[in-house]
Amino acid sequence: MTQAEIKLCSLLLQEHFGEIVEKIGVHLIRTGSQPIRVIVHDTRTSLDQVKKALCVLIQHNLVIYQVHRRGMVEYEAQCSRVLRMLRYPRYIYTAKTLYNDTGELIVEELLLNGKMTMSALVKKVADRLTETMEDGKTMDYAEVSCTFVRLADTHFVQRCPLVHATENSDPGPPPPAPTLVINEKDMFLVPKLSLIDDTLALAGIAQWIELWLQMKVLPVQTPVRAHAWVAGQVPGTGHARGKGKRRRSSEDDATGEPKAKRPKHTTDNKEPIPDDGIYWQANLDRFHQHFRDQAIVSAVANRMDQTSSEIVRTMLRMSEVTTPSSAPFTQPLSSNEIFRSLPVGYNISKQVLDQYLTLLADDPLEFVGKSGDSGGGMYIINLHKALGSLATASLESVVQERFGSRCARIFRLVLQKKHLEQKQVEDFAMIPAKEAKDMLYKMLSENFISLQEIPKTPDHAPSRTFYLYTVNILSAARMLLHRCYKSIANLIERRQFETKENKRLLEKSQRVEAIIASMQATGAEAAQLQEIEEMITAPERQQLETLKHNVNKLDASEIQVDETIFLLESYIESTMKRQ
Amino acid sequence: MAEVKVKLQLPDADPVEIENRIIELCHQFPHGITDQVIQNEMPHIEAQQRAVAINRLLSMGQLDLLRSNTGLLYRIKDSQNAGKMKGSDNQEKLVYQIIEDAGNKGIWSRDIRYKSNLPLTEINKILKNLESKKLIKAVKSVAASKKKVYMLYNLQPDRSVTGGAWYSDQDFESEFVEVLNQQCFKFLQTKAETARESKQNPMIQRNSSFASSHEVWKYICELGISKVELSMEDIETILNTLIYDGKVEMTIIAAKEGTVGSVDGHMKLYRAVNPIIPPTGLVRAPCGLCPVFDDCHEGGEISPSNCIYMTEWLEF
Repeated sequence: MTQAEIKLCSLLLQEHFGEIVEKIGVHLIRTGSQPIRVIVHDTRTSLDQVKKALCVLIQHNLVIYQVHRRGMVEYEAQCSRVLRMLRYPRYIYTAKTLYNDTGELIVEELLLNGKMTMSALVKKVADRLTETMEDGKTMDYAEVSCTFVRLADTHFVQRCPLVHATENSDPGPPPPAPTLVINEKDMFLVPKLSLIDDTLALAGIAQWIELWLQMKVLPVQTPVRAHAWVAGQVPGTGHARGKGKRRRSSEDDATGEPKAKRPKHTTDNKEPIPDDGIYWQANLDRFHQHFRDQAIVSAVANRMDQTSSEIVRTMLRMSEVTTPSSAPFTQPLSSNEIFRSLPVGYNISKQVLDQYLTLLADDPLEFVGKSGDSGGGMYIINLHKALGSLATASLESVVQERFGSRCARIFRLVLQKKHLEQKQVEDFAMIPAKEAKDMLYKMLSENFISLQEIPKTPDHAPSRTFYLYTVNILSAARMLLHRCYKSIANLIERRQFETKENKRLLEKSQRVEAIIASMQATGAEAAQLQEIEEMITAPERQQLETLKHNVNKLDASEIQVDETIFLLESYIESTMKRQ
Repeated sequence: MAEVKVKLQLPDADPVEIENRIIELCHQFPHGITDQVIQNEMPHIEAQQRAVAINRLLSMGQLDLLRSNTGLLYRIKDSQNAGKMKGSDNQEKLVYQIIEDAGNKGIWSRDIRYKSNLPLTEINKILKNLESKKLIKAVKSVAASKKKVYMLYNLQPDRSVTGGAWYSDQDFESEFVEVLNQQCFKFLQTKAETARESKQNPMIQRNSSFASSHEVWKYICELGISKVELSMEDIETILNTLIYDGKVEMTIIAAKEGTVGSVDGHMKLYRAVNPIIPPTGLVRAPCGLCPVFDDCHEGGEISPSNCIYMTEWLEF
């Protein structure tokens, strides 16, 4: 992992989970897979804390474990997964656009908790929604679970791998770490639950109280966590929930160490939790597929018109579940099928649709290709090409903003013609020789363009060698990706710096708010409230406003840079798979 | 019987007569005659007399000696030219001939030296001489500004030397190119917009948003912003720069011979387009455009905490 990536991971882990988890996580990212003893020794933290940190990381799918020969268990951190944490807001927003507030909350809870059972999730989301609704109305569990089922059907959430249920054939010692398997067919199968509100609530609360009494731990955040902890005896994965930003993980209790004793809490008086042991997680690949489709559709809309983009959207929607996400082409779709699947509002005739499809297939963009003539014409979407065009467009846009439009002209020229000599560049781009030379060298020094030497003589004498300028898209994309990581790290650091600078002021305003809230609860008069509010002076209020504005701007900028990262990463991944 | 040797005394044995006959023959064949032709015409003259006559004509400057792949050719020299070179000697004539052969591309002094095998000082003297007699001129090449090529006085320099329409006096006219660039783009843009607003079926819409290079050429000529006459290839180079700007795309279609603007059976069509993505996320953050990006790290002189670009950006 590059320095920039490690720095970014460390910042993200610290912000979301706290210092101890950050230390362990970064150590694992740096050194690869290690057994627990080595981690304890190298990071000089106690075994207990390492266990808890690993629990948190495993719970959030950031660390995986493997049993090696000789019975050793090694833990490995997944740097790319840590970087996905930047994209959580985008996932939640996508769920909101597709499935409204219910969907948004479901995905949010899933992402914050890593893994959850369906019953727990539904309950939690329903409670949250009830809080925000007007007094007297409650959210129906059935509605939430219905949304959940829809999410599962469209593959946005998936089941976590389970312990393979052996039939107790040999009563030998349990394996050091369980192997988790999941059947392809079962991945999106929703268990049948009848969620009756009261029983579930009672069961949850009762278990929570019992757990508290028995373990003498600090209260965990929600009853749900404890109930799932007790109920789901999935060994090895631990159930410590690292929840929320800026909380330490030490308050969680978990059994991370394999071979550890699992306290069995017999649930004597409770209903057995219906979907015991079936955990769900967010399917990030599906979200990425959705983002990719969105990018392609908007590119077509920019280049052509709205109707063409709708047609492309329909085609992509039809291929959602038939084409694996890493395929270079979608499955061929016949024009009749597309006509039938167009959204209801679009009443264009078959001939017009055919014309649009022909236009799309002939366009120099080459997003859509024609693969046959049966069924009125078979059309495919060229995903790899589309990703390449989008990545190239990002590169061009960066060159344009950084160096100017004439440099962008030279860049596109070299991109199209593949290899060019200095003189040819000047001639084609119609830029005076001196300026062209200057721009080429500037781009060369920033590694957007590279030089290819073709010697005329075996001794490679510079005066007798051809020097050709060329653009290597893959390496330029990697270079830009690295720059993006560093930029986001810079933005996060700046945000933390701004917050730290104004820490005193923030604390003061929080205290004042707390006082006001408590006074309102006890019924104070308006005059007293006024007095308390004036404790914050006007310039301080102004400062707070500026701080809020800055932090929001930096946050938004992180998400924007993440969009570039997504395009570049998808392109690099797609190219590496083809090789 | 005594043998009587009869020697035929031919009346044409006179050298002047031979020369005149040769000159007549040259006039008959202005492209040049070979030795064989002269021999056929005057079979009774010996080779030696022929050679003497030809040499005399050459030295008098009335005949040109050329080499062709069949052998040597003699050609009548243009009398006007013959007059010019009266005062010069052979070396100058040689140099002049070399320059004449170079046509309108001109020839560099070093190349003259190679061809004529004369030393540099001699060459320079001769060139100065010829220039003062206004027989040749020096033209600065646009490729290498220090290089001077020589060509005959009355010839127009070739496009490759002067750079064609984009160069005026060895200077690349950037503003002219820019203006043309913008005009062409505006023309294509309005065409595309009118096509889009016509709201007919998509095929017609797309086809009408295209403009062939011939149409653009006519439009630019009618605009009259160019003092120099522009050809269709010039317009195509301008349109190519628009393609490299990402504003225009091109397709080639097969066209019937004879339709206006078609070259060798195909036509180039151009269309204004929009970029496929808006400016990417990275350039919206100050880090994407920062010139000192590589020096920036936490705790250093340049760090995110004290970045002035960020401070300015946050104040918007």
